[in-house]
Formats: sequence, structure tokens, C-alpha cells
Amino acid sequence: MSAAERPDRVDFLDKVTGRAAFISDLDVPGMVHGKVLRSTMPHARITGIDIDAALSMPGVIGIVTGSDLGGIDPIWGVSLKDRPLIAIDRVRYVGEPVAVVVAETEALAEEALDAVMVDYDPLPYVTEAAEALAPNAPLIHDGVQPLKDFYFKGEAKPVAGTNIFQTYAYETGDVDAAFASADRVFEDSFDFPMVYHYAMEPHCGIASFGDDGLTVWSCGQAPTAVQKVLSRIFDLPIARVRVITPLIGGGFGGKASVKIDPLVATVAWKIGRPVRICFSASESMLTARRLSATVNLKTAVSADGMLQAKSVEVLMNGGAYADTGPAVAIKAAIRAIGPYKIPNLRLRSTAVYTNTVPGAAFRSIGGPQGVWATESQMDIIADALGIDPVELRYRNMLKRGEHVRPDLTPIDVDMAEAMGLASQAMSRLDAQEPHRRIVHGTALGIADPANSPVAGVLLRLKIDGSIAVISSSIEVGQGIREVLCRVAAEQLGQPVAAVSALTPDTAIAPFDWGTGASRSSLMMALAIEDAAADIKAQIGDIAASTLGLDPARIELVAGGFTADDKRYSFADLLHPYFGIDSGELIGIGRISPRSRGGALAKAPLFWETAAGRCGITLDEDTGEIAVKRYVSVADIGRAINRTGAEGQDEGAAIMGLGHALFEELIYADGQPVNGTMIDYHVPTIDDVPAQFETVLIENGGGPGPGGMRGMGEGAILPIAPAIANALATGFGIRVKQLPLTPERVWRALQDKKDR
Amino acid sequence: MADLASLDISFTLNGAPQTHSVAPFALLIDFLRDDLALKGTKRSCDVQVCGACTVLVDGLPVSSCTSLAADIDGKSVVTIEGLAEHGKLSPVQQAFVDHAAMQCGFCTPGMVLATTALLERHPHPTEQEIRHYLRGNICRCTGYIKILEAVKSLV
Ligand code: FES
Ligand code: FES
Repeated sequence: MSAAERPDRVDFLDKVTGRAAFISDLDVPGMVHGKVLRSTMPHARITGIDIDAALSMPGVIGIVTGSDLGGIDPIWGVSLKDRPLIAIDRVRYVGEPVAVVVAETEALAEEALDAVMVDYDPLPYVTEAAEALAPNAPLIHDGVQPLKDFYFKGEAKPVAGTNIFQTYAYETGDVDAAFASADRVFEDSFDFPMVYHYAMEPHCGIASFGDDGLTVWSCGQAPTAVQKVLSRIFDLPIARVRVITPLIGGGFGGKASVKIDPLVATVAWKIGRPVRICFSASESMLTARRLSATVNLKTAVSADGMLQAKSVEVLMNGGAYADTGPAVAIKAAIRAIGPYKIPNLRLRSTAVYTNTVPGAAFRSIGGPQGVWATESQMDIIADALGIDPVELRYRNMLKRGEHVRPDLTPIDVDMAEAMGLASQAMSRLDAQEPHRRIVHGTALGIADPANSPVAGVLLRLKIDGSIAVISSSIEVGQGIREVLCRVAAEQLGQPVAAVSALTPDTAIAPFDWGTGASRSSLMMALAIEDAAADIKAQIGDIAASTLGLDPARIELVAGGFTADDKRYSFADLLHPYFGIDSGELIGIGRISPRSRGGALAKAPLFWETAAGRCGITLDEDTGEIAVKRYVSVADIGRAINRTGAEGQDEGAAIMGLGHALFEELIYADGQPVNGTMIDYHVPTIDDVPAQFETVLIENGGGPGPGGMRGMGEGAILPIAPAIANALATGFGIRVKQLPLTPERVWRALQDKKDR
Repeated sequence: MADLASLDISFTLNGAPQTHSVAPFALLIDFLRDDLALKGTKRSCDVQVCGACTVLVDGLPVSSCTSLAADIDGKSVVTIEGLAEHGKLSPVQQAFVDHAAMQCGFCTPGMVLATTALLERHPHPTEQEIRHYLRGNICRCTGYIKILEAVKSLV
């Protein structure tokens, strides 16, 4: 295929023709199907489960409950060991798996679910974080054990005898003195709700035990974390747990760390056959969600608008099990700082268990929560001081190379440039379609991705010049397979059409921390750089020993290399070397905190940043906001796949639009009241601003090849506060709670009239 | 099982006449995916909200998750597998590829089929018509920007 005919991404042809096999499309020989019976109670003791009637129904093969876990470790986690494989004697949220019915078909399993009878003895429950902190709150866990350096570096700090599973504190400067002497002190509290990922492919997994151990076809974004957790549960050597990750229909963090594989594998273990469990979208909604947060900000400012001190106090609702919530809680506090010079800083974060769906990673963990608060308050300050909000930001902006926090890597982008480009682009859009009543709002976001510099890749250069890239980075839509191909092609000087990226399989792919936190493109590019260098060194050695060439004069070209003006194919090299006209070279790339002389150990490895500017109108009779135009700016250093990078930015911004305007998982009486896709509204094509522009800055300066940074999460950060800021500027109402529903906005308008 | 109650249906599938027996309660999505192994039709919401399971029945977009297989008797069904001819992408498929109008690709079969139906009925839709017509097809990845570009390129 010529370069011109080659699609933008290696996976497009399969995807557009329906050939692409997603995890929910797979068939494994002999597999049977599990369906999950879920708790209808927010918090209860299970006093009995009657499975007899269900067991005798047609096609039913077996039923697994919490009483079947003898011989394996029934409790697991990634931050804290707090989660049963399936409810054991007690349920902690509506939706928790209580029993799995396995049958010959999904339909037969589903039918038999109704025949399983569960008796509950209700316990007091709590769904709000503030209530979970109360001294008399029901205790959701009797005691949990932090897992140090298990998935993230470090360990959670729960408080014994309470529902608190994480506490975090950081302080620099003299915060109290700064507050005492400040011209002005602003105190505001902001709320961010639970929101749901809604990756369009629901969670799905297949597990099979055999002589060679446990094989899992997983939708998990971190195959090696899945592997590790499963090895602990079943006491299997890690090398005997194989995790294969086909194409996944979206993740956004909802499939990060470890989600459903322990349950699927447990059922397969008990039943003794390959088992597939595919959730419905409603079940996936009961599996993971973003942590809701209340963020209290106290900020000291001089009369001319210079930030002098800031105190960030975050309270997060982590749901029934901690998952990666402890990391989210830390990031929410840090990401609430913003790209500003603040000499005195106090960060506090607390995350609590409640009887709700477990909170989990979601695109820029903690970021939207923290940025929502801080960027709303920046405009509050600007308004009170009579300073233009953009000007207030310029005055306080960190320059490239200055510290967000003394112990973190200095900011590596020019945020003033990004904000300037956002304004310019918006002026262009305004000029294209003049509209008298458009009101603008701006917000910025910065995030310190947890890049965990532990990664690896194999490059296999075949004798015919074709190249296979073997990596654990999963293709979840972000386009990693194309990035792997392009970087490998570039590093080896070969046409990209010669390169393919294999399906991740822990049996052959080197260890990698996981796919998330905007890290995969960067980490894999670094690993490929090393693997390509390894291959080049091998080519040089073999050329010297076999062909008598000087390695220093070898230059890779498409299909082979040149030396002293003579062209050699890879076969010209490998045929004499191996003695037969076959074979390959294998290059290994390993990334660790010690790679690149320790340069990859710094935290963060780069800053993921975004500037957003919106133009909105408001129907003052209904409170309905229309986002007419939006500009999203990100400094990504360098794009490997420019169109793909734009698409990531656009997707993140529109996902953020959903968070801003309507997304919220609501609880009443311990029950999720909008837990289906009928009731939970995500953005449709109709919600997209009529004018939308993504500006990607490619100035280099990042840690990857050509100065690239990770990207794909930043654009979700600024859009909600940008819209709220426009509301305040244009209509004099400051809404401090998301989403900005018509009702909430309308009430704010009424309150203003009544004042 | 349920042989007694099964119905014989005849229909055209991606241009080829077919006859099959289906249970009266079988959903079209299950019939396509499980009985005919046409896995390009995707299941997401199950409740006619997301459009991932869209197929064309007599040229109109239909949510196969909430349609009965029995109802395609006598009709013509097109699934995503039936759009490309002899390996050549349909114009809509080609536009989606050219404009990078997909990421995870899970919504893509439904989105492509809905767009195909739109352009059959309205070869020159306005932006408003495009938005209105594709409102029933959710994409969580792309933010729709490149999907809109792809569709507009065909107008
Ligand atoms: S699965 Fe049919 S419309 Fe969503
Ligand atoms: S491309 Fe993933 S849902 Fe549309």
C-alpha cells in the first residue's frame, strides 16, 4: 500500500468495516456464560442465598457465591486490600456482585438469575462523604490493609476506626502568616458530582484455567496489574497468569487498574470451564465512576491581585471500595493549585468510603475536580478586585521553568502562550460568526501525570524488513497501535507500512505499568528508542563480523541499510549470518526510573496542560446554557499522529462538556436513581458547539523523542470552569456546583433577582 | 430448543437472500451476532439510546437491540459487513477513514450505517439535519468533531 493510500491509523480499516474483534466479540472454545446477580441493598448482611431453584433451570451449569471461595485469597485491591471477589456475608453498595449464574448461553444465565433468592438484613448506610465522616456514621469496613508500592508508588493512609481510607497533607511556606497579613482572603466551596465513564463497550472478560495456568482475555487497561492481582488471588506464579487484551471499546479509566477480571477468573476457577462474563451498560455503571468531591479553597490575595497563599481542602467520596481512590485524592489537591506562583501553599485531602459504586480513575484523575474549584475561584477573585480575569491569570502565571510546588518538576510549558492562543482563536471564531449575546469564559488546567517510568517493548525485525512491535500498551481507542508503528518506523528508518503492532499479551510482551495517565505514547516511544538502538547495534556487529563493514558507516534505509554507497537488504545481512534465508533480530527496550541517567525518575515527567475558552449564550427563561463556540489549547511538545492527537483533545473537551452541563450519578435512599443510559445523559452530536477549535502547540520541550509529551487528558480540565466563568461574567450568577443544569442555573438567576 | 415455537423467516442480508428459523422472542442483535456470527453490530446500552447496534432495515436505521429478529421477515437488512464491495469501502466508510472519525471504533459501525441512511434520504443535509439525524448515535471518544467533518465532506 502506498503511503498516500495508508489510512491514518493501522486499526481504521478493521474498525470501519466491522471486522475489528473487540473483547465482547471473542469466542473461546468451550466457553460458557456468567451473569451477575447484584445487591439491591446499599449496606446489609447476607443472611441466606438460595440457589437450588436456579440450579435446576435449563442450561444452568453452576452458581458461584461468597461461600465458594475456600482455597483462594478472597480479598484483593490495588491500593488497599479491601474488596471481596464476590460479596461475602455482607454487601456494601447497590450493584455489588452477590452471585454469578453460569449457563450454556447468556440468555439462560439471565433467566436463572431471577430464581436466586437472597435474604438481606439491612444495615445503616451512608452515601454522602460528609455523612461518612460523622462520628456516628456506620463503619463500612472493619479494617483495611494498605498495599505499599503495589500499583502506585507509596501507600494509602487510612484512619483506623473511621471510614477514611486516605489522608494527604502537604505544606510549604507560612500559610497562616500569609492569611493573617493578606489584603483580601477568599473562601469558597465547590462541588463536583459522581460521573460515569460510559466507555461504549461495557466491561467484558473471559477466563480459562488449564495445565499452563490461568489465561484471561481482559478489558483491563493495566494487563500487568491484572496479572499480579490474579496471581495473588490464586497463588499462581506470575508467569503462569496470561493476560491477553484485544481491542477495547473505550476505557477512560473505567477499565484502569483492575476491575472485573478477579470476578471472571474466580467463576472460571470454580466452574472448571472457560467462562465469559459480559456486563450490560447498566452493570458497568455499577462498576466504577469518578470520585465526587467537595473542594474548599481559601486564597490570600494582595490588592493588586497577586496570589499570596492558598489552602486547598478536598473531601472525596470514594464509594464502597478504595480502588485507586487514594491516588485520586492526592492528585485532586495538587491539580487544584493551577499554573500560578503561590509562595505559601497548604494541601489537604481526605477520601472516605460510602455505600456507593466504587470510585476509580477517570481521565485526569482528580483533575477536573480540582480545576473546577480553582479556576472558578480565580474569576471570583478577579471580579471582586475589578481585574479582568485573563489579566489576573497573566499576573500570577508561572513562567516556563518555575515551580508549581518546590518539590515537583518545574512547569515545562508556556501557559501564557496557551492562554493567548485561546483568546486569539476565539476572536477568530467570533469574527466568523458575529453574535451579539455571546459571553466568554476562560480557564486553565495543569496536571502532573503519574507516569510510572516502568515500561518495555520488543521490536522484531524480520529478514524481509517487516517489523513487529510487541508491547503491553492496550488499544482502547487512543491510537497507541499507530503510535507504536510510527515511532518504530521512525527510529529504524523504515516505512510505517512495514510495521505492525501486536495484540498485547503478557506471555510475550515485556512488563509495562499500564495504559493511562497520558503515559503510553511517551513511555513506549522511549522504550522503542532503546529497542531500536539495540537492533542498530546488532546490525552493526553482524555487518562487521559477517560482511566486514565498518559499523560507523552504516545508515538504515527503507528495507535495509547502506554502507560505503552500497545498498544492502536485511536479507543480505541475515542470510549469511544465519546460514539460511530466514530469521530475525530482536531489540529490547526497557525503561526504568534509572533510564536516561535517572532523568525519567523526576515527578512529574512532564506537565499536562490545557487552556480553554468558551462562548456561551443563556436562555434566561429556562436556565439552559448553549455552548456556541469553544477553543481548546494544549502544548503537547510534538505530535506523533497529529490528527490522532487532535481527536484525543476534542474527545476530552466534549467529555468535559458533559461533566459541565449534565452528567451526574444521583443517589436517593441508598439507590442510584439514574443508573441506566436512558436516565444518564452523555453528550450527543447535538451538544457539540457549532464552532470548535483545537490548537495543539508543538514546541518540543517534552521528555520523549522529538520533544513529545503525553496528552489526551488535559482538555477535560478547563471546560466546566470556563463555562461557569462565562455565566458569572455575562449574567452575574456564580454557580459552585456541577453540573450546570438548567434548573440549577435558573434557580441562581431567581436568587439573584430576589437579592 | 423451543423448536416448536420457532418461526421461519426469509430476508435479504447484505444483498443475499436467506432463510432462517428464529425464536419469536429473539432479538435482532442476538440473531445477527450469535446465530450469523456478524459481530460488527455492537451492543452497548441495550435500550435504544446509543445507536451502536444500528443496522439498516429496508434502508432505515433500526436499533437491533430492541427489534425482533422475526420482524425482518420479507425485508432487506444491511449490516456494517455489507457496506464495502469487493474490499472497496463505501463512500461513508472512506470518509470516516479519511477524516479519522473514529477512535475506539465501537460506535463506528452504527455511526457509519446511520450516516449512510441519512445521505440516502437527504443527499445534501444541512448541519442541523446532520445533528438531528445522528443524535441517536453516541460516540464517547471523538467528541463528534471529526465525525461531523466526515459527514460534511460527503454533502
Ligand atoms: S445497544 Fe442498541 S441502541 Fe444502544
Ligand atoms: S470511537 Fe469510541 S465510541 Fe465512538
